[in-house]
Amino acid sequence: MWFSTFLLKNLLRRKTRTLLTSCGVAVAVGTTVALLGLSDSFERSTLSDLAQRGIDIIVVEKGVLDQLSSDLRESAAEKIRELPGVVEAEPSLVELVGYTDPNTGNTINVLLQGWRPGSFQFEEFEIVEGRSLQPGETKAILLGSTLAENVKKHAGDKFVLNEEELEVVGVFRSFSTFESGGAVMPLAALQEMSFREGSVTGVPVILEHGPDAPSVEEVVAAINQLKDEEGRSYNLHARPSQEYAQESLHLKMAHAMAWMTSFIAVFVGSIGMLNTMIMSVVERIREISILRAIGWRKSRVVSMILGESLILSMLGGVLGAIGAVILVRLLTQMPTVAGFMTGEIAPVVIAKGFILAFVVGVLGGVFPAYRAAQLMPSEGLRSE
Amino acid sequence: MIPNASDILVRTEHLTKIYPDGHVNALRDVSLEIRRGEYVAIMGPSGSGKSTLLSMLGALDRPTSGEVYFEGEPLSRMSNLDRFRSEKIGFVFQSFYLLPTLSALENVQIPMFEGKLPPKERVERAKELLAAVNMSHRADHLPTKLSVGERQRVAIARSLANDPVLLFGDEPTGNLDTKTADTILALFERLHQKSGVTLVIVTHSDEVAAHAGRTIHIRDGQVAEDIYAEQVSKSA
Repeated sequence: MWFSTFLLKNLLRRKTRTLLTSCGVAVAVGTTVALLGLSDSFERSTLSDLAQRGIDIIVVEKGVLDQLSSDLRESAAEKIRELPGVVEAEPSLVELVGYTDPNTGNTINVLLQGWRPGSFQFEEFEIVEGRSLQPGETKAILLGSTLAENVKKHAGDKFVLNEEELEVVGVFRSFSTFESGGAVMPLAALQEMSFREGSVTGVPVILEHGPDAPSVEEVVAAINQLKDEEGRSYNLHARPSQEYAQESLHLKMAHAMAWMTSFIAVFVGSIGMLNTMIMSVVERIREISILRAIGWRKSRVVSMILGESLILSMLGGVLGAIGAVILVRLLTQMPTVAGFMTGEIAPVVIAKGFILAFVVGVLGGVFPAYRAAQLMPSEGLRSE
Repeated sequence: MIPNASDILVRTEHLTKIYPDGHVNALRDVSLEIRRGEYVAIMGPSGSGKSTLLSMLGALDRPTSGEVYFEGEPLSRMSNLDRFRSEKIGFVFQSFYLLPTLSALENVQIPMFEGKLPPKERVERAKELLAAVNMSHRADHLPTKLSVGERQRVAIARSLANDPVLLFGDEPTGNLDTKTADTILALFERLHQKSGVTLVIVTHSDEVAAHAGRTIHIRDGQVAEDIYAEQVSKSA
């Protein structure tokens, strides 16, 4: 018989307690893996979107952490384009707009982008229905494929946003999960619809790459110094795209929420495990002292209790990881979430879940193991 | 007969044990010797200190004062008493203390986790031990499926797992009916004669003590009588 077989048989003595304790750990691990998975997926989507389009720098308003709360003068984009080393600088407006399905009455958030027709941002789009936006159009909208599927709209259909009736001129598929789940309008039309004429939220910048090209840091410094003809600062905050993505307020909040939940989960899971293992030791005082009497070292008793605790927590880890994968798949298929992130959890996030389960197992098992090891071998005889 | 020094397996010198809870003076100045291969019964009324003596002799507890010597070495100087118990001592308890979720075969392997045998050899050794106590046919049964006599036989097999030189029985027939108790005593006797293991049995029963070659009577924590069987037969 292997020692591990012995530990498993000990745990199977109390099947219900074993299952319930593992379920407790599974909830803790599952919640953590799901939340970390979602925030990680959100970050990966953002980073890959920027990288795939070749965007080197994102410019937003100074003092704000992300584009949604940024407010820049559109003319800043022209000034940025004139800087040495800059190949493209496109003014963009991003709005989160509520869309109410006229049939069901359900409202979903649509990430609506305002781009100038013909800008480089359209280059990565695959038009799957209809056509792209054309210069001079005002009441036109291009829907991402995920959004079109969720709202059941096709090219030629009407789409009402902010009480404005727009024509769906086409449906595009993008490598970007965000974009496929959102929509694009002509910049001028979106500015008018949101009462932000002459204003944009950000400027994505593509740089020239070559031995003589200025470095990203040099261009960033130059953008941050830009002033208009009257000498007023544009109040710009340029950052390399990776830094921008990692410092995004939404990402930071998502990460912080995920980690906060993880800490609470570890705490609750450890208390549950501690309770189970203390009960298990108290029930087996006589048995453990007999094991000590027949020659078991303290370290073997510690191995037994910690081993049982770790088996329980790892079982919880497996159940939690499976649950999290299923939960995230289901969540990302919901219309309100689809389009913002992928339903896949990175292996590194699942590994973090198992590390958490391990920590719960150790924290919950150490004290009971110590208590068990302190039992005198004569305890069993004296109480005979 | 004065025993040869090399024959002495266990020796106690002025052994005293006071339990802090209630200041119970469980043992008072007990000095005795147990020779290798002896079959000793320790008798006495409840609370006389016989189980405390067994705990001291079996290195389960430390005396308040005095010393226990095993093969001439003082236990107080041994750094690893767990290892000592694992390698040299076997215990059989009144209530058997078999682990309920393990089969007879698995229960016998429990002390072997402290040895160096790999899992396969542990199984083989456990099978041999069960055969020695005539329990091969019940090897895969859980303790709850065994009779009390069978459980005690498995417990005896477990106590022999690491080939001890000294086997302690703490009221080993206390929970058995007379017929089963006789079978277990016969088994002890057979093991004693066959392997030469030193047997120390704590008991209330005169019938059990009658099987031993020597009976030590403990009263109020002291040795009241120490009688060898040959003395009894001579006086008879």
